Amino acid sequence: MIAAKAEIVGNVWKILVRVGDQVGPGDPLVVLESMKMEIPVVAPGHGHVAAVLVTEGQIVQEGDPVVEIDNTLGA
Amino acid sequence: MPHVSAASSSTSTQAATDAARATLADHRAQRFVRTDPRGSRVYTARERAELLLDADTFVEFAPLRSNQPGAGSGVIAGWGLVDGRPVVVACHDASIAAGAIGAVMADAICRAQRFAIEKGFPIVYVNDSGGARVPDGILALHGCGEIFALNVQAQTKIPQISVILGPCAGAAAYSPALTDWTIMVKGHGHMFLTGPDVVRAATGEDATADEIGGSGMHTKTSGVAHLEAADELEALQAARQLLSYLPSSAEAPQAVTAAVPVNPISAEAISAVVPERASVPFDMHEVIDGILDNGARLELSPQYCASAITLFGRIDGRPVGVVANQPAVRGGILDSKNSVKIARFVEFCGRFAIPILTLVDVPGFLPGTVEEGRGIITQGAKVLKAYVDATNSMRLTVVVRKAYGGAYIAMGSASLGADHTWAWSNAEIAVMGPGGAVGLLHRRALAEAEDPAALREELAADYREQVARPYVAAGAGIVEDVIHPEETRERLVAAMRLLAHR
Repeated sequence: MIAAKAEIVGNVWKILVRVGDQVGPGDPLVVLESMKMEIPVVAPGHGHVAAVLVTEGQIVQEGDPVVEIDNTLGA
Repeated sequence: MPHVSAASSSTSTQAATDAARATLADHRAQRFVRTDPRGSRVYTARERAELLLDADTFVEFAPLRSNQPGAGSGVIAGWGLVDGRPVVVACHDASIAAGAIGAVMADAICRAQRFAIEKGFPIVYVNDSGGARVPDGILALHGCGEIFALNVQAQTKIPQISVILGPCAGAAAYSPALTDWTIMVKGHGHMFLTGPDVVRAATGEDATADEIGGSGMHTKTSGVAHLEAADELEALQAARQLLSYLPSSAEAPQAVTAAVPVNPISAEAISAVVPERASVPFDMHEVIDGILDNGARLELSPQYCASAITLFGRIDGRPVGVVANQPAVRGGILDSKNSVKIARFVEFCGRFAIPILTLVDVPGFLPGTVEEGRGIITQGAKVLKAYVDATNSMRLTVVVRKAYGGAYIAMGSASLGADHTWAWSNAEIAVMGPGGAVGLLHRRALAEAEDPAALREELAADYREQVARPYVAAGAGIVEDVIHPEETRERLVAAMRLLAHR
């Protein structure tokens, strides 16, 4: 299991993926809004989305896990 | 070699010289054998010096100086040429006492440093050392301290580059930190105060050498090293490339080459790079590609604080240090860590009169408890100081999109001494963004409005036009002109050509 983490404090503006979605490195999963900028949280590796840990409008801190990705099934 | 000075007739002098040369050849052969197997090392210290320099240009200082284990020098020092320009080099020799710095070795390095400072040539240190040589005791520590002192004295005079091609531990690790740029080879390049065993004994932390001080750690997390190379040859090549942008000394002329036109495809695309909505990120590298001379450029710390770009390139053949916000990473925000990265780069360019091009798209300094706790005020102030101090450099600034608040000032503004500043026609320059400003200026009106969202939008549009448009700044003479993106290069070229008359 690998976690995509927020790289900056901000609020969750849009969630782009659902549990079960296949994702690859660099794919945007969630868009944060911070300092009036749209800041994507991207997948760190291949796998499928195991859990979305945030809801839209929620505040996240730098380093908070946002999406969990299951990379064990050889996606 | 007492028999050298004792020789009286020309024949015996000749014989003694031959004998000394045979001894030297023997030393070199032994050194080669002693490092075989050389572990993960690919080249001997001498080979490293020769690979860094142009072919057949290496001249060694004091090649007969003792290099016996225990008492020996353990460093190959000398000078040669890089692209035809003199460079001094000091390569630790890990085949002698594991490259540990003893009294003789420190003296040999200091002599190379003094030579470089006095003659005004850059110096490259190739590091591969376990630290201070324990049997030399205080003499080793004193020698290390003298190297550090000369590192500091050299800072205002000549460029210093450290290449880490092995362990660089303990006292040895401080010398690179006092030089300008550090290049590490992946795998066997390590920098740390103490290795895994001592860390475990001291604090109980269980960590590998790579985790404590590998090239990944130092080029991504700590920022201690600025470039990561896949192998030794690539590391030495990177040092050559870096030198190609730098003057030999603070007094020397810039390293100008023949002008190369901009990449025509990038130049064509530049007007479409910046998205219309100010909140949408884009890749600032595309702007850089549309402005600089086509061809090689060297980005420093590309993986550390990627929200700020620092790189060397050329405009009209003249070296330029580019500082840019990267909206594609963390929105291009300024924070305490990337402030230090920017300040260090600007300060370096200023010391060697390298022109500084600043490309601005910054939403501001990141507020909040985390950043204040990291001392963003102190770190951000370093950026201000670096720009103000860089009076020897031509400072050119282009506001590509947003420039808000204190971050506007910090990013090479006219107020800090920029020689020329331009803004692209869609730029927004103001104390704060429309969202925040409207909320502050029209709090009561918004509270009383029937449709606050609509009023907010209307007021924001009004603010953007009346307050933030670059024509306000241009009217006040704070921005020199409002330009189209595709005009940027010609403006910069014209400004840089002035430098030819200095």
